[in-house]
Parts: sequence; C-alpha cells; structure tokens
Amino acid sequence: MSHTITDQPLLRAQGLTVQYGSKRAVDNLSFDIPKGRVVGLLGHNGAGKTSLLKAIVGLIAGQGSLSVLGLDPRAQRVELLQSLAYIPDVAILPRWARVSELVDLMSGLHPRFSAERARTLLRRTSVGLDDKVKNLSKGMVVQVHLALVAAIDARLLILDEPTLGLDVLSRKSFYEMLIDEWCDGERTVIISTHQVEEIEALLSDVMMLNEGQLVLYISLQDLEQRFVALGHDAATADAIAAAHPLLRYRVQGGQAALFDGKPPADVLAMGQRLRPSLVDLFVALTRRPEISRTQGV
Amino acid sequence: MQAWNDKQALYQQLADRLAARLLDGEIAEGQAMPSVRALAGHYLLNPLTVSRALQALDEQGLLENRRGLGLYVRPGALQRLRQAERDHFLQHEWPVLRARLRRLGLGAEQLQWENP
Repeated sequence: MSHTITDQPLLRAQGLTVQYGSKRAVDNLSFDIPKGRVVGLLGHNGAGKTSLLKAIVGLIAGQGSLSVLGLDPRAQRVELLQSLAYIPDVAILPRWARVSELVDLMSGLHPRFSAERARTLLRRTSVGLDDKVKNLSKGMVVQVHLALVAAIDARLLILDEPTLGLDVLSRKSFYEMLIDEWCDGERTVIISTHQVEEIEALLSDVMMLNEGQLVLYISLQDLEQRFVALGHDAATADAIAAAHPLLRYRVQGGQAALFDGKPPADVLAMGQRLRPSLVDLFVALTRRPEISRTQGV
Repeated sequence: MQAWNDKQALYQQLADRLAARLLDGEIAEGQAMPSVRALAGHYLLNPLTVSRALQALDEQGLLENRRGLGLYVRPGALQRLRQAERDHFLQHEWPVLRARLRRLGLGAEQLQWENP
C-alpha cells in the first residue's frame, strides 16, 4: 500500500496524557481519526473530554505525542488554527457587536474565512445581519457561531457541548446546518456532548472516555456488528442473565440485555435482536447511569 | 428530532422509509434519487448511513447508477418493490393477521374494505 500524505489520519494521538498536578485528566490515549468522519466524544463530567479537546487545539500541553493535521498543536498552533475551527463550551460572541460586524471582524482575523459564505449561511438562519448579538436568543447565537465557523475553509471542526442550553428547534437547526454545510466526506468534526441520543444518528464513530481513559472507540457500523442487544420477556430473564450480559435494562414492553459479542445461539433464540443504543452502551461501559436518555429532549 | 426505533439498524429504517416513498409515487421511476447530502440533512443522519441505505435499495434492483449523474430510480422499480412487499406480507404478516382475525371471529364482511 502506498501512503501518500493524504492517507495520513487527520489526527493521531500516541500515549497522550494530560496531567493537572497529580490528577491525570487524560490518561495514555492512542487513536487515529481519519478525514470525513463525525466523531462523538462521550463521557461524564470530569471524564477528560474538555481536556482532550483543549490538547487537540493546543490550549494545554500533554505528554506523549499528538499530531493534528500533521502539525504539533503546541509548537505550530498558529499554523494549525488556519485549518482548524473550534467552538469551546464557553464560547461567547461580543454582545455589543452587530452580526455584520462579526463577519467583517472574521474577514480581518482569519485568512481562510469567506465573508460571502458566512452571509449565505446566515441567510439560512432567522438571524439578520443588522441584528445585535445582545438581542439574540441563545439558540440564535449558537447558529451565528456555527455559520461563522463553517465559513472557514478548515478541515477539522471541534465542538465542545455545542447545543447546551438550547431548545429542541434550535438544536435541530444547528445539526441540520452542521450536516449540510460541514459534512462533505473530507472534513471531520469532533463533537463532545451529553445529549447522546440526539446525535447518535449523526455520528460515524463514537469515542467514550471514562476517568481519562478511552473505554471505547468504534465506528457505528462496527458497533452494530460487535454488540448485540436482545429484547426478551420476564420468563427468560434468568437464562439471559446467566449468559453474562454487559447490561440489563428495561425497554418498552419488556426487558433487554446487551452483550459484547454474540451470545450462544440458544440464548440468542430466547429474544429478539434490537439495535444497541449508545446510551445503554455508555452506561454499560462506565457503570455510572448519569446520562439520562431523555435529558434535555 | 427524527424518530427511529430500536428494532432495526438505522440504514435499514431509512431504506424502508425511502421504499415507502417510492411506493407512494413521491419519487417516480426514472427520476433522480435525492443526493446523499440532501437526505442526510433532511433525516439528520450521518452520510455513511444514507449511503448504506441507498446501497441496500440498489441491491434490491430498485436504483441505477448513471455515470456522472448519480442514482436514479430504475424503470420497473415500483412493480418490483410492490411484488417484494406483497410476498413479504403474504408470507410473514398475513398468517399472523389471519390467525388473529379468526380468533376474533372477524370475516371479510366486517372489515369494510371500501370505507376507510
């Protein structure tokens, strides 16, 4: 196989560790992320999601090796930021500014920003160019933010809890714009979120962090092959439990069990195959059922 | 957001919905299928999932790839799809339904075919 420069992953971490004092926020992670992916980064609060994202954009230093778009995010940060876009969870836009002024500001700041494209994207939203940021709802601000960022000709987009605090309609428009305007098979986006259920269908891959460690990194397609969810009724509950599922949970109209790998055929025959959900898998692998399946929906 | 069930893989559910749109005549024979990107945006699905769904329809002989133009609904697709759905209904769904109708003592005269 020939490995040209384009075959290299967009992002490669090898033994990446981020340490605050004696606490390891990110603990010895190794992974590659190729182009054209939508990666969901899942983890409880304090699992290391934000630390990992900050290391990727060069905001904090880590040990081990990390290459983003072929660059060292610490040593080559200025160069990196020309092809990487980042919306942190605490992102704010200046309240005094008009939207049109933000477009002008970005044109001056970023060499690969297209003002024309930003205006086109903004036309898809309910936000006007003359609106002042301070008069916009939270959902509108996030839309403006995405429009500004999507107008950068970048290859990697990092979103840290992008839809936190937004209502359902704003979240939907946000994801529509993300799919339409960002996902072209070349560019990659990494999204960290608590709202697992609503982004599940958007993802190509999922990365689960628990206490700084990578407990699962798998494509959704492989996930469906590897994990087996089985719906069953109460009568077979004991036999199913004896086959050591990762997790047992309730579903509409009965019970279900989640297995890593195919259970024996006699067990498989006791139930009905279900689509394994990310939420259940996350609970099974982190053993802390804090992420509610209905949170914020 | 879009409602997907937990019974089947997402690509299969999308393939079923697109097949239903074909049967309803919403997407006609000889017409271009909506692009992967348009479908992904509409259904809020990852483009890879959309591609798999289209591939599944293609494998059923419903689509054809016109070079440089994309996927089109193959002439005769509707007939083929309806036949497949009929076979499936008669083999898998009808026996269950018939057993239930018998249990309830319902005959053709009670079912009111003509009045919706």
